[in-house]
Amino acid sequence: MNMVAVGAVLCAVASVVLILALGELIAHSSYGRPEAKRRAGELLRAVLTPDQYGHLMQRGHIDIASPSDPERTYRVPKGPGRVQVREKGRLTMWLCLQPLERVPEADLLVMHKLMIEADEETYLRKANRFFPTFWEMRERPELQ
Amino acid sequence: MGMLRIISKRGDDRLLWNAEDALAGDAEAKAAVQEAERIFAKEQAKGATAFRVEPGKPIERVEQFDPQAEQIVMVPRVVGG
Repeated sequence: MNMVAVGAVLCAVASVVLILALGELIAHSSYGRPEAKRRAGELLRAVLTPDQYGHLMQRGHIDIASPSDPERTYRVPKGPGRVQVREKGRLTMWLCLQPLERVPEADLLVMHKLMIEADEETYLRKANRFFPTFWEMRERPELQ
Repeated sequence: MGMLRIISKRGDDRLLWNAEDALAGDAEAKAAVQEAERIFAKEQAKGATAFRVEPGKPIERVEQFDPQAEQIVMVPRVVGG
């Protein structure tokens, strides 16, 4: 009987500790909070040109011209996801690059824009590259 | 006014300073510039990259803190995903 009671008490204590730990985790994680999103949205507006911002709202991505190659553009999605590299309008590869720290979605877009426009060489060096297969190009006409 | 914006999970942390007042010798403004410079160096040491972002001008990567900059945005260290 005593063992059952001790077990129940331990279980209750463990539950309380778990709940407190989860609460602490949520309280200290501001990722996804409205305030963080609002600030990230403000920065995005400050960094994008009015044309780019309008394009983003309408189409869900922005196209950034390569500073080094006039035939290359980078298509950066609004949310998380890989960046398309397009040469003469056609998809040639995807790039994946992310900050070590989790940041709001709008800040990801800011990161891509700043790096592509001002440090394209590092951007290309650090990003992982993924190439579309023949089947992807055939089955997904939106990629072309 | 200059502004240092450090991208983080909180959106971005901001620090403001007045370069003109600092140049004129205002102690509080000088302290703000020094604090911005200290944070800039600290973030850079952690692997962050800094960009000078000013309306109507091309974005520029910067290695040194410039109190005359209107806005500096720091991106945390990035890795291939």
